[in-house]
Amino acid sequence: MGKTYFDRVHRWGKISSLTSLVFMFLIPLAICVHLDVWPPATTIFNGLIKIVPLFWTVAVIELITYAPMLGAGGTYLSFVTGNISNLKLPCGLNAMHNADVRPNTEEGEVISTIAIAASAITTTVIIAIGVLLFSPVLPMMTAEGSPFAPAFQQVIPALFGALGAGYFAKHRKIFFLPVAMGVVVLLFVPDFQAGTLIFITVAVSLAGAHIMYKKNMV
Amino acid sequence: MDFKESGFMYLLGGLVVVFITAQSLFFMRKAWSHGKELGLSSAMLKKTVASSILFTVAPALAILATVITIAGALGLVLPWIRLSMIGNIGYEVTAAHSTLESFGILGGLNLEVKDKTVFAAAAWVMTIGSVMPLLLLPLFLKKIQNKIGKTVTANAKWADLMAAAAFIGLIAAFIARAIAGAGDKNIVGDGAGFLSVCTLISAMLFMLALQRLSKIPHIEWLEPFAMPLSMLLAMGVAMLLAQILPQNLATLEWRG
Repeated sequence: MGKTYFDRVHRWGKISSLTSLVFMFLIPLAICVHLDVWPPATTIFNGLIKIVPLFWTVAVIELITYAPMLGAGGTYLSFVTGNISNLKLPCGLNAMHNADVRPNTEEGEVISTIAIAASAITTTVIIAIGVLLFSPVLPMMTAEGSPFAPAFQQVIPALFGALGAGYFAKHRKIFFLPVAMGVVVLLFVPDFQAGTLIFITVAVSLAGAHIMYKKNMV
Repeated sequence: MDFKESGFMYLLGGLVVVFITAQSLFFMRKAWSHGKELGLSSAMLKKTVASSILFTVAPALAILATVITIAGALGLVLPWIRLSMIGNIGYEVTAAHSTLESFGILGGLNLEVKDKTVFAAAAWVMTIGSVMPLLLLPLFLKKIQNKIGKTVTANAKWADLMAAAAFIGLIAAFIARAIAGAGDKNIVGDGAGFLSVCTLISAMLFMLALQRLSKIPHIEWLEPFAMPLSMLLAMGVAMLLAQILPQNLATLEWRG
């Protein structure tokens, strides 16, 4: 029996995922070779141990959640290029809606793949052009004593404040508990690092959300 | 020349652009041919491309803005590369921050990374931290699409809630640090204090206001810009306060 279009997409997708995996690892390797620096494995491990349990678990959840909506080709492309929930998923769904086709049909697969490929190329090109335009002025902006320096020193509160407010607006009820827990922990141990604190706040957040879901509070 | 912005780094960035473009074009070409076999019109396929490009411009500019905001610490090229491949601003910043902490740099991305070893370690942690989907896809995607997808659709609300809760937990750690975390005693501006709390509150207020504004008819285009604009405006508030406040208040850090 001949292979279906879906079978072929999965074959190309497997090859492209593995190629991307190798390509991604070549980048930090090339940086190490070029700069002739080899960070101790323990520091890399210590950096990873704080984030991998969360990131990799979320990756599983995202894959299971998004794959049925994105289609096969769209999923392979989206997970290589990232920015799924804020860009690739709405773009793919919008294109299928406009073309009046449904996810999980061959027509939906085709439209979703074309839309996400166009989106991936556009994103890559726009970011590349923007970076090239900004590169001459950035060193002046970040230099010590520059009026912009305090702004760059407050990147973390600015970023997580904005991200947090976005989630606060949608998930108000589950927002306060993990923040309060993080603050309480820091009141007792003020130099507790963010990477370690994440374990506590994520566990509290998941437990709180699950209990509220079970009690029909969310 | 700054090693973070060297010609070599730009070459790596260029290779990422070529790689992603080639891969996307391959999938697009295959889908296009199959679309024609299915009887989809060229006009419809072209319209899909055009509308997807238009749909993408605003969010892509928003991603560019986030690249620029963390470029103060890591240079422009590494954030550019990381946000072009499996990128997500929240994860990339957390991974880089975690690496810097493992070197004992408590200020994290609030300070410029000047050590090549730290920079290379950050590149490794950001990469390894984000590769999980590329390991899962070849092994499980086909099975997921055939089976699990149907189950998840039935439990979509719970799955959405848990994904949001995990991310809120991550955000909460950094918000708590901005409110009550100590920085390096020898460095001014990296611990929780007057400026960090003002920046945090401003970012939240700007975000809530911009999200509300973007619901108004004819300015819905504002929606994808709400996050990066809020970040940039809050950073502007930090800059302004540092200029106009007395020095002892602007640099006040209550936990050291």
